[in-house]
Amino acid sequence: MVLWRAALVAALLCGVGLLPWLSRTDPALTVLKARSAERTPTPEVLAAIRSQLGLDAGPLKLLGDWLGGLSAGDAGRSWISGAEVTPSVVQALGVSLLLMSGALFVAMVTAGAVCARSLWLGSGRRLDDRRSAGTGSALLSTLPDFLTASVLAAVVGVQLGWLPALGWYGPQWMVLPALSLGLPAGALLGRMLDDLLPGAFAEPWALAAAARGVPGRSIARQALRRCVPGLLPNLGLFVVGLTGGAVAVEQIFDIPGLGRLTLQAAVAQDLPVLQAGTLALVLLAAVAGGLARLAARILIGPALRDGALSSLHRPAPPRPTTLPLLYGGLLLGVIALGLARNPLELDTTDRLQSPSWAHPFGTDALGRDVLARVGHGALSTLALAVAVSAAALLVGVLLGLLPRFSGPLVDTVNAVPPVLAALLVTGIAGSGPATPALAVTAVAWAPLAAHTSALLQQERATTHLTATRALGASPFQLLRLELLPAVLPPVVRHALLRLPGVALALAALGFLGLGAQPPSPEWGLLLSENQPYAERAPWAVLAPAAALALLGAVAVTGGRGVRWPGVRRVREWRRGGSGAETVTERGARAGERESMAEDSAVHPVGDGTEEAVAVGSAGDASKVGPAGPAGPAGPAGPAGPVGSAVSADPAGSVRRRDA
Amino acid sequence: MRSLPRRRRFVVGLLLAPLLTGCFASDGGNESAGSPDGSRLRVALAFPPAENFSPYGADATLLSRLGVTEGLTRLDANGAAVPALAESWSRENDRSWLFTLRDAAFQDGTEVTPKAVAASLTRAANAEPVTAALSGVELTAEPAGDGRVRVTTADPDPVLPLRLSSPGLVVLSDKAYAKKDAVSPVGTATGPFELTKVTGTTAATLDRFDDYWGGRAQASGVDAKFIADGTARTNALRTGEADIAEAVPVSQAASLDEATRRETATTRTTSLLLNTKSGAFKNPRVRAAAREAIDTSALAKGVYEGYADPGVGIYGPALTWAADKRVEPTGRAEAGVADGTSVTVATYDNRPELPEVAQVLKQQLEKAGFKVKLEVREYSRLESDALAGKFDALVSARNTMLDTGDPVSILASDYTCDGSYNLAQLCDKDVDKDVSRAESVADTAKRQDAAMTAEAAILGTDAVVPLVHQRIITGVGAEVRGVLLDPYERSLVGVGTRR
Repeated sequence: MVLWRAALVAALLCGVGLLPWLSRTDPALTVLKARSAERTPTPEVLAAIRSQLGLDAGPLKLLGDWLGGLSAGDAGRSWISGAEVTPSVVQALGVSLLLMSGALFVAMVTAGAVCARSLWLGSGRRLDDRRSAGTGSALLSTLPDFLTASVLAAVVGVQLGWLPALGWYGPQWMVLPALSLGLPAGALLGRMLDDLLPGAFAEPWALAAAARGVPGRSIARQALRRCVPGLLPNLGLFVVGLTGGAVAVEQIFDIPGLGRLTLQAAVAQDLPVLQAGTLALVLLAAVAGGLARLAARILIGPALRDGALSSLHRPAPPRPTTLPLLYGGLLLGVIALGLARNPLELDTTDRLQSPSWAHPFGTDALGRDVLARVGHGALSTLALAVAVSAAALLVGVLLGLLPRFSGPLVDTVNAVPPVLAALLVTGIAGSGPATPALAVTAVAWAPLAAHTSALLQQERATTHLTATRALGASPFQLLRLELLPAVLPPVVRHALLRLPGVALALAALGFLGLGAQPPSPEWGLLLSENQPYAERAPWAVLAPAAALALLGAVAVTGGRGVRWPGVRRVREWRRGGSGAETVTERGARAGERESMAEDSAVHPVGDGTEEAVAVGSAGDASKVGPAGPAGPAGPAGPAGPVGSAVSADPAGSVRRRDA
Repeated sequence: MRSLPRRRRFVVGLLLAPLLTGCFASDGGNESAGSPDGSRLRVALAFPPAENFSPYGADATLLSRLGVTEGLTRLDANGAAVPALAESWSRENDRSWLFTLRDAAFQDGTEVTPKAVAASLTRAANAEPVTAALSGVELTAEPAGDGRVRVTTADPDPVLPLRLSSPGLVVLSDKAYAKKDAVSPVGTATGPFELTKVTGTTAATLDRFDDYWGGRAQASGVDAKFIADGTARTNALRTGEADIAEAVPVSQAASLDEATRRETATTRTTSLLLNTKSGAFKNPRVRAAAREAIDTSALAKGVYEGYADPGVGIYGPALTWAADKRVEPTGRAEAGVADGTSVTVATYDNRPELPEVAQVLKQQLEKAGFKVKLEVREYSRLESDALAGKFDALVSARNTMLDTGDPVSILASDYTCDGSYNLAQLCDKDVDKDVSRAESVADTAKRQDAAMTAEAAILGTDAVVPLVHQRIITGVGAEVRGVLLDPYERSLVGVGTRR
């Protein structure tokens, strides 16, 4: 494990060290351009730079020297400025870590707000009253950080003057950048958490605890504790991603962070800086990954070790709604209207017009119709983003199934700044038409794999799996019939949530000459080309951003199923109570697994317990308050199973505190 | 999870506090606004120092804009060399010039002597890579007694005084060269402001140099911040965090009050360079068709929102002498028919207006019957392909006054067979003849005439279609006076700049 991780880091550093030779771009030229863009690259000048940097010695010698210096704590000197690398990288890392912690705080609060409703309802065991919601958080999670940052800087910073709009000189300078980074990240994490919570609240221990009169607050806390470990790896990825990848926000707020430093170094091929920055990020990733694993162990360690978890399934598939149809219809309507117009015809006399009948979404900086551009860009944007997401999902799940192999790989890949990843992929695969897709896929699978691994780890520790294994199910059967069905749905929903992000990432590579080129109306390109006008012509950025957000909303709500209007597929008997529903649902699921065992005895602990508890608690736990004081003696039948359920509870403390 | 007792938590917090403050950037300087001695100016600059303020690269311009460094001469508004550290000069013979120094002091207290000047110039001539103004020039300097310096070049150089105005050929004291591999302009230059502190690539602090030969500056110092993002720079001015913001992007200009927007015509010309060596534009008639298809006023008004003048030639209105001396291009081919010819037009996005220009051009060319494909990249990823002639056309913004301060340099490097930056791949006998004739003329006015003749010859080949001449927008706070708006972008803050 450690060896594999070290090998990956070494491979990455070598890849960075060989970058110019891989991509066949002359580092002397890029260094010259970074030093002085106007300078004519005459052969004499390039030769002087080459001899100054010692480039003729070849990449291996350079790499060896750098590594040798590194062992003495010296990361070399920047090829551009000649300044020492270590102090500048350390300082930038400090700034970025501080920014990241601010963003993390905002993300936590946001995530809390997103699942507050589930927690509140769950603690009162009223989760089933919940309509499928989450549109708000889905919209929030698709907000591109540069858009939020531009808007916050312009409105809060400049026009209202409440907070400083740029710089990095003290705590009040942190607020706006932290908000623009933390809000979408928090919304995404919150959605993932919200996805797991109903499952936790439906677990036997929660029912038992409620039946015994444990206050809803404690149950909610323990439910959180049950769910958070599944997200910790992703949280760790966020920490690293935000530290090294907050380029846009750093630019808009003029923050001297690591993202900008590595971006500049990557473009200029300033290898010593790039290597040191990458190394810092990779180390940070290893630390964050380690901490995430440690935290998961602290939270649910004993249960993991003893294989005493129960499957974190939702009690019932969330009720399908008509919402995806509504959002999808809206999106399709916009696209259809846009397709009827010309996205390329420009008229500079008509630039930055506000929305009107002639141009319902206004015009952009060249006087093109924004509606038309959104409509025409939809197909290419969606097709590519969906293809990349699907590939990332496939790779992510496959590698996620091999956590020992993929864990270090995930950490390493995630630590690589996106531009560097793109440059590396271009270096290896050449700059063909598929390169941008390849480059984005190369990093997009990592969070999905981390999610898969985390869920898998918990799923493997479930009691019903132990039982199935005991009955002689082969590993393949386990995987196909137990693990994948449990793990896939939340990971797929996660991948859907990230779809808009993929579309943005694809467009972000444009400046390397990869991906869509103007005047293509690709959505990511629309966002970036209209960003400078965000204050003067907000509609030109808001339209594609809203389209992306709608896409996110369709993905999130659609992931829960679609109810066609007029078709009442909701089974009326469900109204009877959540307990009965759970049992029936489980029964149905067990029935699906007939190929493995004939009856539900396969799941003696999982389903049996639940059934017993459900019967004992008579469904709606909030109504059995009086049963609590009856104590462990309770109804005779369920007493045993309840006990076992509580001990399987990751939060054994529920009982202790109660006692 | 155990939690720390409250008191210990408090102590940990206290211990962490200084650690955290270390993670913020330092503010650059202390504000002493409103002091009787003149207040400090806060300047937001676009380009951070790339090479630790080395005077031999692009940072040289930065130092000269902030009033830190000076050379022997400087350029006046008409593009002629006028005295700076040198009071006067004369041409001894074809190859050597004598410069008489004025009475001046370095910021470290030592005097500006012929020996120090000769040492500075020698050092610049030997820099690796050589500074742009001296590329292809072999220069030696030696003290000549009587407060004079003799500067000699290997080949006759009629424009040496212009060349010496380059920010790359400034004069620094001995102390600047103490280290072998780096030159430090901190406290060693001769300008009205002294660089005292450099905070990485984010900020620099300057104090007034009281013994400046040109009089004491009105501002007591300058706090410079380097803010690469154009919107952020504009925001700095709008929130009152900066008094002067350089290079406000066109897209942000409308967000500034009219009084704070100062326009200056610059020597930067955006043009469409057509590949004359290969591809569709090899045919001069096709080039002529492209030229006729382009409407430059739509670009100046539409894309640059009026902060640019429609292209009239290689030299724009910033060179005040050019308009009167312009010669009509001759020998242009008759426009052919585009007839569905497909061409690739490349440009770069480091200047946000260029992709927009390219898109407008695309439509204009397509109306004339061309089929156009655009290629937009970051500049350093584009240049080598462009120089190798891989595109049919290139939209490029080029400063027509290179570091040499000589208008003919750009013609020689960009449009002659041996040119080192010949993006149009032009190799035309008549052009080469006209350019080399211009290079040999010593008299400033006659050299300008010759340059205009060469310009006409180049335009006659249709290898280049001048699109717009950019104006630079400087954001200047309402109470700031005396900002130096220089078409050559070599000065910004000077003796008379105050708040």
